Amino acid sequence: MDPGIFLQLLLNGIVIGVIYALVAMGLSLIFGVLELVNFAHGEFYMLAAMLAYFLTMRLSLGYAATVAVVTILAVCLGYVFYEALLVHIHGGGFERSILLTLGLSMVLQNGAVFLFTTTPRMIETPLSYANIVAGSVRVSVTRVLALALGLVAFAALYLILYRTRIGRAMRGVAQNREAALMVGIDPRAVSRLAVAIGIGLSGLAGAALAPVYAVHPLMGFSFVFKAFAIIILGGLGNIAGAAIMAVALGIVESVVGGFLPLVMVDALVFSSMIGMLLLRPEGLFGRGVRV
Amino acid sequence: MTRGWLGALGALLGVAVLFAIPRLTGNEYLLALGISFATFSVLSGGLNLVYGYTGLLSFAQVGFFGIGGYTAALLVTERAWSLWAGAVAGGVLAALVGLVIGYSSLRLSRHSFAIVSLSFALLCMIVARDWVSLTRGAMGIPGLPVPGLDLPGWRWRLSRPADFYYLLLGFAVMAQALFYVVVSSRLGRAMRAIKLNEPLAQSHGIDPLRYKLLAIALSAWLAGIAGGFFVFYLTIVDPSIFDFYYTETMLIMVIIGGPGSFWGVLGSSAVLAALPDLLRFTTDLRMVLYGAVLIAAMLIFPGGVGGWLDRRRLRRWRRPSLTTP
Repeated sequence: MDPGIFLQLLLNGIVIGVIYALVAMGLSLIFGVLELVNFAHGEFYMLAAMLAYFLTMRLSLGYAATVAVVTILAVCLGYVFYEALLVHIHGGGFERSILLTLGLSMVLQNGAVFLFTTTPRMIETPLSYANIVAGSVRVSVTRVLALALGLVAFAALYLILYRTRIGRAMRGVAQNREAALMVGIDPRAVSRLAVAIGIGLSGLAGAALAPVYAVHPLMGFSFVFKAFAIIILGGLGNIAGAAIMAVALGIVESVVGGFLPLVMVDALVFSSMIGMLLLRPEGLFGRGVRV
Repeated sequence: MTRGWLGALGALLGVAVLFAIPRLTGNEYLLALGISFATFSVLSGGLNLVYGYTGLLSFAQVGFFGIGGYTAALLVTERAWSLWAGAVAGGVLAALVGLVIGYSSLRLSRHSFAIVSLSFALLCMIVARDWVSLTRGAMGIPGLPVPGLDLPGWRWRLSRPADFYYLLLGFAVMAQALFYVVVSSRLGRAMRAIKLNEPLAQSHGIDPLRYKLLAIALSAWLAGIAGGFFVFYLTIVDPSIFDFYYTETMLIMVIIGGPGSFWGVLGSSAVLAALPDLLRFTTDLRMVLYGAVLIAAMLIFPGGVGGWLDRRRLRRWRRPSLTTP
């Protein structure tokens, strides 16, 4: 294979992988702290992308302003989501949380289909036609910006989790809820923040990817399918594992997708998930199995 | 004892009335509703066995349904099998797939089972759409032949909707009878024990994994056969057989009827199979409504109608009686 094309595919794969990582890390963080699987996670990503589309095309906001507004709104939405819905089922069983978030996902997804139809929309600004050319490799500016935003978000999440008191509290609750309670950590405040950060990351992912791909109401559904596979492969609740698997998946998908039909990639992802559960149920980068 | 006999008599009477409907009225719309009810009752009954009794939230039912449909359709059109052999083969394949998914994901936890079952249902749709050489892609397999049953001295060609009504209703009655026998026997008690307290059940010598796999395989087998019959009623199978709409509908049926309540789920299946056509919403709005119902049910009404009736009965038993000395 021509090294130029390979490099191109590799670069595209890293960009999409970093965006997968944002969604999967949020999902993993929420699972780690609250022990619930958020089935509506992909819909928040979709809402953010749709919002980014309207802000850019209708209100003609700039790139930075759009990303900032969408991310801040997503964080606020995360707070509301926790306080309005999740707090009421806390401790009420894992299945209830799945069904609740599934119901929310149905409302958001089908509501968006009803309001906006399934027609894909493209964001078209002067920025979306700009390219950076280096030798035989050509990358659009929007992809580079998405990559940069993703890396900044990685760094910010790392700093929050490992360098602040609230981050330490979050990791404490994720490791051992009872022990965290015993040393005076308020689980409600910690859970609220974890959900807000998780949804915020999803919103950032949506805003960053909206100018790269077409935006439509069903985009969250297929995305969250991959995010689930990622968090199982990386170990449920393991945030770093999720990030590594996400980037790996993005690269594999892009490079393999260059010369194989995409259904093979999806089948590959699913069968590696099943294989992982058979061989190493705690995931590649396993961290204690929760029951 | 008399209560039990009265119940059995009532059930028999209900079945007899359902079977008599095509003779009383030729209304094809009513028959279509009846076929929808019969099919959904098998799917929701299986989901109730897996989720309501054994406590495993599963999104895989629709995958088993579609696998059964595709297997039967392909075996009949490509290999010239009869519908009956094809549907049974579809059910067996669905059950085997269910065992693989269940065995691999239940090693970790119930959480991973829910996630894997959802991924499985999505993967089924992708495979049906994109593996064109096997499934003929998005166009599906149209024009499925009219199946027939040849017995000595009697030939039955299933050409009218009423024939499929009899077939699916008969199958649904058998499936429900099987579910009823399972849930009211030692098996059902073991499953309920696993749902309520798995370590305690284990300490009483119940192997949870075996019962979980049994529930998954049984529901998958019946869903697969139902899928095989249903696609021949539609005369086409295409990737929309894996539509998430089926999953959402059967989930709502189980949640509203009350997980773990046999009659509750059967009743809610009957009501909800008829309701969408009465409401005449567009599909998108109906799904929004279903989602809202699901959220509301989880917040205020987690036991469903069956759970509410159970609580009421318990309250009545516990009420101090004032009249008797």
